[in-house]
Formats: sequence, structure tokens, C-alpha cells
Amino acid sequence: MTLPRQILLLYRKDLRVEVRKKESLIAMAFFGVLIMVILNLAAGLDRRLQAEPAAGVLWVAILFSSVLGLGRVFAREKENNCVAALLVSPLSPGALFAAKALVNFTLMSFSELVLVPVFFALFGAGLQPGLPVLLLLLALVNIGFSAAGTLLSALAAGTRRNEVMLPILLYPLCLPLVALAVKATGAAFGGRPMTEIRDLIESMAAFGLIYAAAGYLLFSHAVREA
Amino acid sequence: MLKRFDPFAVLALVGIPGAAATVFFYAPLERTMGVVQKIFYFHLGLAAAAFLSFFVACVAGVLYLLRRQRVWDERGTAAVEVGVLFTTLVLLTGSIWGRPIWNTWWTWDPRLTTSLILWFIFTACLILRSAVEQEEKRAVFCAVMAIVGFVDVPVVFLSARLWRSIHPTVIRSEGIALEPAMIVTLAVSLAAMLILWRALFRLRCSIQRQENTLLDLQQQLQR
Repeated sequence: MTLPRQILLLYRKDLRVEVRKKESLIAMAFFGVLIMVILNLAAGLDRRLQAEPAAGVLWVAILFSSVLGLGRVFAREKENNCVAALLVSPLSPGALFAAKALVNFTLMSFSELVLVPVFFALFGAGLQPGLPVLLLLLALVNIGFSAAGTLLSALAAGTRRNEVMLPILLYPLCLPLVALAVKATGAAFGGRPMTEIRDLIESMAAFGLIYAAAGYLLFSHAVREA
Repeated sequence: MLKRFDPFAVLALVGIPGAAATVFFYAPLERTMGVVQKIFYFHLGLAAAAFLSFFVACVAGVLYLLRRQRVWDERGTAAVEVGVLFTTLVLLTGSIWGRPIWNTWWTWDPRLTTSLILWFIFTACLILRSAVEQEEKRAVFCAVMAIVGFVDVPVVFLSARLWRSIHPTVIRSEGIALEPAMIVTLAVSLAAMLILWRALFRLRCSIQRQENTLLDLQQQLQR
């Protein structure tokens, strides 16, 4: 089988599981909305947020809820020792990484379909939506976060404390991505043009590229031990 | 295989008090900052050694994954542990200096933020190590984490430009903005810190090696 077909096969398998069980998406969207409500309390009730703190609220909600989905995608394979079966099968570990990263990307994108409208409903007053820029930023963060998250969820799944380890490993690595995203989104919400945040966007793309490459190369080592 | 006598440990035993003596008795007093400035000599040496150890951890991680030899896991672990220790000291000495000079313990400056993020990444690596029991799995996981932690450095630097900088840049491309006596002191303390780093690194490697040998012996006994 060619690599794209292998990836597609694995991707469809995982999406089918998700569509039937709906365990990740509901949890992600619910938790994300919950975080926004909590952050609204933290930011001070009934206060209109500036562009940059508002961007921070959006990204904290997205990234903290995404880690729920990231952990499940790999832990599910561990439960009936499906990892061993996948490794015995003639699928390459690189395809496994790409498929899992794509699944995580899809899950994040679908939960954002809920979170972004809710965010604008709760905090949107006085913000410029800047939709094309926002969509680009969402895509870049999803790529970076799902690439790094897929690799690290393989590590976390191999430890005794899976649910605890994933955030501990993932968030320090993603701190620069979050900082860039908050800055860029704040500029977009403030109605500034895209040319002003070009170097931020390039750095975010670099993050995605670095972790896609690192994940593709290192995943086979990590998954064999998981 | 157990060395009783490590030349680097002896050198560090002489070097660190020597560097301290140079800092306090040879280096001139800085005009505006006074005696507080003297912490800089240790701060910079510690920072250089910390970055060196993260680089060593990444290289050891790559070599472990390629060759699967236990010695590279030992070196990687030693480098990460010593690196976390040195980064902690960098952050502490920086804070002690910043309190009187910047009038704050902490500020979100690019270099401070970068060091803090690196500290988080490599401390996570230590936590990961404590969460896995099987030796080979632990070695692979830590190697992967050390590599992905190190490849994060360029992006951390890129993102760090977001914060405005008030950190002094002593070493610029045009040269070093210091008195000659201060440069000598800096060189002495930098060398002493690197020797100390090497001594600690070797010590930690040999502890790790002995632990592994002990585990092997235990397994042989159980059979």
C-alpha cells in the first residue's frame, strides 16, 4: 500500500470510532466552553476585554480542551493492546504518526467550530472578527499542536500516569506557539492588517514544520516502546 | 569502571574558589551597580554551562536512538539533570541581581522567558523519567523528549522577541562591553563553571552506571 492510502485507512478507522463513540469531541467542546466561563470569572465579571486578553482566553480554552482529545486518541489504542497489532501490520510508523496527527487536527478543528462562535458570543463585543486571519491562525496552531501532541501522547501513553503526563510534557513545548498565537490573534482582533503579523505567522508555521518533521522521525522509536 | 579520582573534580575544587576569589578581590567594582554586579560572572558561566548541557542531552538522545547503547542514556540523563540544576541557578542568580537593579524579581524579558521555558521543558523530561520503570523504554522516552525539547529552542527564541527586552547585552557582535580586568574575571569564572559542569556530569554519569550495574546484578541473582 502506498503511504497516502495507509494514512487514509488509519484516519478513517479513527474517525469512525470517534463518530460512533463521540467520547472526545463532546468532552473537548464542553470543557472548552467551561474554561471560557471560568476565565470570564477570573477576568472580572461584566468587563469588556481588550483584544489581547480576549485572544488569550480563546487560546487557553482551545489548548486546554484539546489535550483531552489528544490523550484519548492514543490511549484508546493502548486499551486492547491495539498498538502491538498496528505495529505488526504492514503499516509504516510514519503513516501511523501522520494519521494520528490528522485525527487530532480534525478533532481540534471540530471542537473549534463550537468554541469560536461561543467565544464571540461571550466576549465578542468590541472585537474585530478578522475571519480569514483567524482561520489561518487556527489552522497553524492546530497543525503545531497536533503534531507535537501526537508524538508526546505516544510517550505519555507508555507511562503509568498517562493522563497526568501528557499536559506536563506538551504545554512547556507549546508555550512559544501559544505566545505567538495570542499576539497574532490579539492583533487580528484589534483590526490590524495581516502584513503586520507576518513574522509571527512565519514563526508559527516553523513550529508546525519542526514538530511534523520531528514527529515523523521520532514516532517509530516512541511507539515501539509505548 | 569506578574511578576514585576524577581530575575534573579536583580542578573544580580549585577552580570555583579561585573564580570566587578573582570575582571578589581582583575584578574592579562596577560604578553604578556596585557589588551586586559581581553576580554576573557566575550568572553567565552558569548560563553557558546550562545551554551546553541541553545540547549534550540532545546529541546523546540522537546517539541513543541510533545506537541503543546504554552509555548514551547515562550521558543524556546526566546532562538533563545537571542542566536543570544550572538553569535553576541561572534563574535564581538573575533574580537576585534583578531585585536591586530592575527593582523586580522577575520580568517577562526574552532571555528570562527563554530560560524559564527551557527549565520547564527539561524538568518535564525529569518527571517523565520518574514515571517509567522499564529501563529501555525510559531511555527511549527521555531521548525523544530531550530531542524535541532542544529543537524547540529556535522557536522559543523567535517567540521571545515578542517581549520587550531590558536585559543587558554584555557580549555583542562588536565586542565585549567590559573593562579588561572584568573580561579576565569573566573568563576565569566561565572556565571554572565549565570545569564544575564537567565534574558534575562525570559524577552523575558514573552514579547512573553503577545503578545500572546494580540492576543487572539483581536480575542475575533472581534468575
